[in-house]
Amino acid sequence: MSNPIIQFDDVSFSYAGTDSFALQSVSLEIKEGEYVAILGLNGAGKTTLGLCVNGIVPTMLGGNLTGKVTVGGLDVSEYPVRELAKLVGIVFDNPEFQMSQMSAAEEVALGLEHAGVPHEAMHEIVSDSLAMVGLAGFEARSPLGLSGGQQQRLAIAAVLAMKPRILIMDEPTSNLDPIGKQEVFDMAAKLNGEQGMTVIVIEHEVEVMARYADRVIVMDGGRVVMNGTPQEIFSRVDELAALKLRVPEAVALAKQLEARGVWKGDFPVRTETAVDRVNAMLKA
Amino acid sequence: MSISNPLPLALVPGNSFIHNVSPGPKMILVVGYVILAFSTQNIIILYSMAAIAFIFAIWAGILRTFLKGLLILLPIGSSLLALQILAPAVEKPWTAAAELGPVTLYIDGLYYGFVLLGRIFASLAIALVMLMTTHPSDMFTTFTKLRVPYTLNFMQAMTLQLIPVFQREVGIILSAQKSRGMKGSGFSAVLPSFIPVFVGAIERVQQLSISLESRGFGSTGHKTSYRKVKGKWSDTAIAVCSIVIMATLAVMSIMRGSWNLSDQITFSANFVLGLFLLVAGTFLTIVTITIAFMFRK
Repeated sequence: MSNPIIQFDDVSFSYAGTDSFALQSVSLEIKEGEYVAILGLNGAGKTTLGLCVNGIVPTMLGGNLTGKVTVGGLDVSEYPVRELAKLVGIVFDNPEFQMSQMSAAEEVALGLEHAGVPHEAMHEIVSDSLAMVGLAGFEARSPLGLSGGQQQRLAIAAVLAMKPRILIMDEPTSNLDPIGKQEVFDMAAKLNGEQGMTVIVIEHEVEVMARYADRVIVMDGGRVVMNGTPQEIFSRVDELAALKLRVPEAVALAKQLEARGVWKGDFPVRTETAVDRVNAMLKA
Repeated sequence: MSISNPLPLALVPGNSFIHNVSPGPKMILVVGYVILAFSTQNIIILYSMAAIAFIFAIWAGILRTFLKGLLILLPIGSSLLALQILAPAVEKPWTAAAELGPVTLYIDGLYYGFVLLGRIFASLAIALVMLMTTHPSDMFTTFTKLRVPYTLNFMQAMTLQLIPVFQREVGIILSAQKSRGMKGSGFSAVLPSFIPVFVGAIERVQQLSISLESRGFGSTGHKTSYRKVKGKWSDTAIAVCSIVIMATLAVMSIMRGSWNLSDQITFSANFVLGLFLLVAGTFLTIVTITIAFMFRK
């Protein structure tokens, strides 16, 4: 965790044809190797924030951008998306809409073909990427014939093959069952932990975020309203409730116990911590 | 969520000799077929070409899907022959074969009708064999080698991909309509489902373009290919043989004034009458069924 790899400097953005701001005076820094979760209601500007990082906003989706977004030292409004693609991988919530090839292997290879990776080197990268997301042996399968979770992991593999330094996942598990969700988050944690990849996850699942994220950013109405460790953010139960956001169940439990005078001290953001604390209280 | 492939246009997986021929020779064959078919009026050549395509289809084990694809010839062929019998596309005087109430059936146009049908038949048959035995990605790679622009190539590959997707989406919307007590079948049910499908398509395409762009789609540098189409000696042999045979036949045809055999092949009046009843009946049946299907309650 050293230099900021992503830097937002007083960034405001409105989509073409609208007056309202999707982002308003956003300033933040994300360091290389961080695992950042972005929380917020629909329309809070989370997706726009993510799209800013690889330059889709403002290059592809037009609009009015003020301020400066720097990614890996590059000003995103000056570099085409295809250049930033080498640095930033992005996965969206609807994996099926991101598939365009006849087989899983070709889907993964697509980005490599665009980057001009030699044919001989491709097979290894493709099978490594598929193995990384637990889809080894799926090379010849049609992407459209996979389950939702498999498709999502394939979409992630397609991005991983390009070896980005930053992985952005925009509600990657909204179509997945609990096991599928777990798989995706475990994988992201592994990439973050083992390869030091910077991971930004836009999610509604607060339990998961509390478990994996180094930092939680809360957005509302295009602004960054909270920015801190999961412990700091999820302890602000009332403020989050005012933003209509949930807190992890463990925190909610502790909050209610505190109201009855039973709980003292920090709120536990992880279920295990809550269990330990309650256990200790019962024994005392 | 598996997708069946109801349109007989896509690859029928297999590992036959025909499947393993590279796309290059197959494309040469298709182009050669079209050129030869339109430079000759020799029906023996034309129907032999169609027969060879049939043999390829049987050899590749795709006969059932192949025949489904050829069904489109039924309305085209029957109307074509019927029209040539009613109003020959040759100079008068015409020889009448039979009177059928107010209409007169003529013999003279029939040969030309068979020529037209043969051209469509042979070209369509070989094109279907090629589409059904060639992996679209291999075709894609070959087109790229031929310096067809990448974007254009991608569009063509995408189109083949999207057809089954949209078919499934129409199915989902029809089920949704049914579950809300609306009509779920027939033409009048399909029509209103087009709007949600198209809106969905626009959304899908936008999402896809963002996804592709963020994987470097627009890069201007040299692009490589995951699949490699290996050239085999048999491919070269097939390509050379097809070019030689078809070029010879095409040149012979052109030198003999398109090699029209209508002087040697004559049709009897009864044959014309019988054929007319058959094709007109077929055509009217197809039209009736189509109309009945469209306005089905």
